[in-house]
Amino acid sequence: MSFTDWITDARNVVFLVIALVMVGAAVVVVATRNVVHAALTLVVALAGSAALFVMLGAEFVAWTVVLVYIGAVVVLFLFGIMITRAPIGRDSVRLDHVRRWPAALIAASVFGVMAWSTTAAFGGEEISDGVLKAENIGDLLFSRYVIPFEAVSFVLLAALVGGIVLARKDPDR
Amino acid sequence: MFDYHALAPELIVGGTLMAALLADLVLPEERKYLVGVVGIVGLVAALFPLLTLGFCEDLGFCSGATERVMFGGSYVVDDFALVMKGLFLVTGVISILMSVGYIESERYYQGEFYWLIVASVTGAVVMASSRDLITVFIGLELVSGPAFLLAGWRKGDVRSNEAALKFFLIGVLSAAILLFGMSLVYGLTGEITFEGIRAASATLADEPAFVMGVIFVLVGFGFKISAVPFHFWAPDTYQGAPTPVAAYLSVGSKAAGFVGLLTVCYLAFSEVASIWGPALWLLAALSMTIGNLTALKQTNIVRLLGFSSVAHAGFVLVPFAMAASYDAEGLQSAFFASITYLLVYAFMNLGAFAVVIAVAAKTGSAELDDWAGLSRYAPVPAVLLAVFFFSLAGIPPLAGWFAKLVMFRAVLGGTGAWGAALAVIAAVNAVIALAYYARVVKTAFMDPVPATVPLADAGAPIAPALVLALGVTAAVVVVAGFYPPILSFFGDAARALAFGG
Repeated sequence: MSFTDWITDARNVVFLVIALVMVGAAVVVVATRNVVHAALTLVVALAGSAALFVMLGAEFVAWTVVLVYIGAVVVLFLFGIMITRAPIGRDSVRLDHVRRWPAALIAASVFGVMAWSTTAAFGGEEISDGVLKAENIGDLLFSRYVIPFEAVSFVLLAALVGGIVLARKDPDR
Repeated sequence: MFDYHALAPELIVGGTLMAALLADLVLPEERKYLVGVVGIVGLVAALFPLLTLGFCEDLGFCSGATERVMFGGSYVVDDFALVMKGLFLVTGVISILMSVGYIESERYYQGEFYWLIVASVTGAVVMASSRDLITVFIGLELVSGPAFLLAGWRKGDVRSNEAALKFFLIGVLSAAILLFGMSLVYGLTGEITFEGIRAASATLADEPAFVMGVIFVLVGFGFKISAVPFHFWAPDTYQGAPTPVAAYLSVGSKAAGFVGLLTVCYLAFSEVASIWGPALWLLAALSMTIGNLTALKQTNIVRLLGFSSVAHAGFVLVPFAMAASYDAEGLQSAFFASITYLLVYAFMNLGAFAVVIAVAAKTGSAELDDWAGLSRYAPVPAVLLAVFFFSLAGIPPLAGWFAKLVMFRAVLGGTGAWGAALAVIAAVNAVIALAYYARVVKTAFMDPVPATVPLADAGAPIAPALVLALGVTAAVVVVAGFYPPILSFFGDAARALAFGG
């Protein structure tokens, strides 16, 4: 398929825009020196991944990304910053690390290998155009995957119980 | 509908969790140890359905097939699963017994502590039956999640903070790697159950993305079993965490990692053994050698046990490393050897940690120098120390020798130079291990008592629950050494998995 054919398909244009925005946001997340900006740009990157899931017809996953990652995790980040580091804004402590260039090299080579092997494996394949409905997921969760579903609820309960113990102020004894 | 008999252990443990949480809510502060009692009763109660399931036919509850496949092949209760569930439940009971005196002395959120141990055991019990990627991953999360929190239980102690943080970051990283590998495997095979992946993977051995998926899954589990080179968190975490938690991590959580690794390799990736066989060979050889050599230099007993548990992970992997080149019979003997080793290791390592708790209450530290001349003022703990450490070293007639024997028999049963080379590495390591275990025993029995120990209250009796934990583990280690079939019977039952694979 030539590039002209590829770019004239509207879906590919949408994909390209979303993907470029995501890459740009992801770079800002690690490059900015302001922690709050990093957290907020992460919202953009995560919203982009939600948009990609919508394009793939996995709307339930998309809304889960919005609810859990943008709605809960990033807000938790911001609360964490607010509680632990009083002066919000440009940070005097540098957020990078002396070994950032070796780390970048390793990250780039891992990306290269992954990109090569996944395009080699899935390159020309088209996924079937089934749209996954929340109803089907709900049915599966409470029939076939009921054991992992219940196990996850215990994971959350354990995190709640242990998190409260670790975070609370000890009573005087 | 659901097979409630097959799910009875999970249902009982889940019910115990709810009961323990309610008990914690209503009990007054000085009665919180009763939450631990609830936990122990629940875990012991869950052992009974394991018996009725295991001897189902003999007891007349059912006829025909003993293997119960549920949820479209995602959840299987076979003899292997029953043996591993039994191991996890017993580990949970002994860990709680070890904790009672320890955590009570600090009067520190006892109820939640016991509750989290039971929660972690629940995850391990689920993992033993998991036969698909989703269930095995969630089970592993339920094992690790409470463990992260338990490692940081001593909030005021910087060491404990560091232990929990290190364990948490490494745990999250390994979970991410594992999940990424699983997503590649699922993407390429389109299957989520181990059986389906096995059927779909025969033609994928040369597919780069599939190889990466398999390797990532191995790396993810490698962190959980703390095999070299994914081991560096283990000694720090064991040292900083409360000692009963370290004991649970080194046995329960590690065995859960092994269950995941073995079931995935055997059932899902059996067609592509050429990928994971050499990788496990390398992990086994490195874990034994580096674990033991680093343990030689340790002066803190808990760190020493941390590195020794890294080395033991290597010993458990030895039979599996050669599995790729085995025929069906060799595979079964490899399975028998690994599971038997794991069972023996569980009891002797829990016992060793129980001794550390008992002795540290008298000397005030787990530094080897402070343990000198232990036998003069605390003869019983000193003798138990010798029992467990010599068993870990593999000296007859303690249970450890039998574990080493079946391990060598399995690896030499195969053919080829690689198996022989691994056997030689294992033999050299067994000798290195003897050196540092014997050094601890020698210090405790021969060296003069330093001026700073024993503590003023060293004469105080050991907590009754800890005595029970010591008694049970010591009895198993000694009896199984003289009469190995009491443990190898269970290892034998676990061979069942090899038939399916």
